[in-house]
Amino acid sequence: MANPETGSPAAADVGLPLLRIRGLGARFGTVEAIKPLDLDVNDGEFLTILGPSGSGKTTLLRTIAGFQPPSAGRIEFDGKDIADLPINRRPFNTVFQDYALFPHMTVRENVGFGLRVRGTAKAQLNDRVDAALGIVGLEEFDARYPSQLSGGQQQRTALARAMICEPRLILLDEPLAALDAALRRQMQNFLKTLQRQSGITFLFVTHDQSEAITMSDRICVMRSGSIEQIGTPRELYYRPKSRFVAAFFGASNIVEPCRIHETRDDATIVETPVGQFRISGPPPDSSSGLALAIRPEALGPEDETRVNTLELEVVAVSFVGSETITELRHRRTSQVFTMKTRSDPAARPPDIGSILNIGFDPAECALVTEAAN
Amino acid sequence: MRRLRLLDFSLASVTAFVYLSLYLPILLVFVLSFFSMRRGRVNWETFSLGWYAKLFKNEALGDALLNSLLVGIAAVLVAMVFATLAAINANSRPSSRSAQFLEYVIFLPFLLPPIITGLSLLIYFREAGIPRGLPTIIVGHAVFVLAIIYRILLTRLNALSRSLVDAAHDLGASNLQTFRYIILPNLRMPLLTSGILAFALSFDETMITLFLTGTDATLPVRLYAMIRVGFTPEINALIALILGFSIILTVALAYAWGRNSGSGGNLIAKTSK
Repeated sequence: MANPETGSPAAADVGLPLLRIRGLGARFGTVEAIKPLDLDVNDGEFLTILGPSGSGKTTLLRTIAGFQPPSAGRIEFDGKDIADLPINRRPFNTVFQDYALFPHMTVRENVGFGLRVRGTAKAQLNDRVDAALGIVGLEEFDARYPSQLSGGQQQRTALARAMICEPRLILLDEPLAALDAALRRQMQNFLKTLQRQSGITFLFVTHDQSEAITMSDRICVMRSGSIEQIGTPRELYYRPKSRFVAAFFGASNIVEPCRIHETRDDATIVETPVGQFRISGPPPDSSSGLALAIRPEALGPEDETRVNTLELEVVAVSFVGSETITELRHRRTSQVFTMKTRSDPAARPPDIGSILNIGFDPAECALVTEAAN
Repeated sequence: MRRLRLLDFSLASVTAFVYLSLYLPILLVFVLSFFSMRRGRVNWETFSLGWYAKLFKNEALGDALLNSLLVGIAAVLVAMVFATLAAINANSRPSSRSAQFLEYVIFLPFLLPPIITGLSLLIYFREAGIPRGLPTIIVGHAVFVLAIIYRILLTRLNALSRSLVDAAHDLGASNLQTFRYIILPNLRMPLLTSGILAFALSFDETMITLFLTGTDATLPVRLYAMIRVGFTPEINALIALILGFSIILTVALAYAWGRNSGSGGNLIAKTSK
């Protein structure tokens, strides 16, 4: 993993990225919503922009779509600069958070709108609308109005409408935010399958990290208008570079301050208040605010893979079904750890106040810094 | 129980009193329009449609009615064009100076005493050397009803999601196509309701018209002139007709509004945002 910035399975065999963003910034008055940033979106990939609200992810998407004028930078699509192109001439389409279906038009008219304004002949328009409705499974609903559809059906209509002009890139602005949990999971699978089969590049915005992990080829994490880290879901999950990314992906046990004790070929030895640990991989380039991030599920009883060990006192145990969450405390420093283990029906839960020998795998933790850049 | 019933009864009485005092005079005029008077008293044995027949033979009144219809329709159409443009501007750029300025100014002719509006327009037309006549009345009425149409259209536009326009552009529509396929269809009902309301306002408008009319009188102006000469039962018939027409407009408006409810037809509820 020489360069995790471009670590994408699709990146290897693609020459030029489909969308190339250089120094793109956006501001609202004096507020800098996006600080000048670079981003490459490869042809055919599912790239998710992930971040909490206010991180600038939606502004970035809207700037690419053309709804928000950039304050600086270039947006290149297929090698051509499109930053000055009006919205209606940009070669890609958007799925909106509120779907933005035209309330006075039927599903068929909504889906066919992109072709209608291009003056496509009636017969051809109808054929293509039928095909698009077939893809999203709404053939039966073509005569209905948006108000007569369920949330999931509205979502599919919006998707079919965005696909009708066969764009190579579709921008999706939190399209699943309005759906309930069960429907959202179903739509996640549907979107992912659709993206794979159609080969259309998806640029997807969400604040939900589990959604980003299950759907994306790559994830771009944003924070306060800048890109914090870009990588595959596995990279971000197992190798977060900053505390922010680590915390966002659930590595809630942060041990600090950390000092690098020794650097070996395949590992780094760090000194922390709770002990000396071995971490797989080289240390980060920067060492400002260095900390050790350990996932709750990486902790477990000491064994031959969990070679980093520490003695911890049990503070609380909660059974949450398939998992058991144990709150632990390091006696000398009072550092608190959260451990998530698979519930074992045969095992007796540990007593509160008892001391356990807990370990974690050098490969299942990460050294993180204050900020990624 | 007894006290509740008493309360109900008093409430009903008050309601009845209010409605009677509102509608009894109107009803009286309507009834009287079918009878003749003798020495200041109604002669109940003379039921006839005679006054109406006389009314229809009165060519001056016929002309006045035609003028009223013409002025109403023309003023509404003119106001609609300007109100639509102004509302779209205010909706798409709510913080722009022109929109904010308009927001304050557009209601002035509607809120100012009609005598002021009428007088200022009169002075303006005189200074500009424009002779008084139907065109000046149309301008006066258009200015007067502009605000009401503007407000109803803007309410509807503000209720529409901004992303609809974004979506239309995103799908390749030009500004003109977006207006034609997305905005205009959503303004159809508000245009109809505000048009009826504005027409009713124009149809009844007297004060501004008095200042701006030349030799062509509208119906209320004609009525005013007739009363000054002397009250005849013919006037009862005329009032009854105007009333009937106004009621038809009101019912049409209520019907259109009812059909439009739920899609931003509510004038007051959604105006403040």
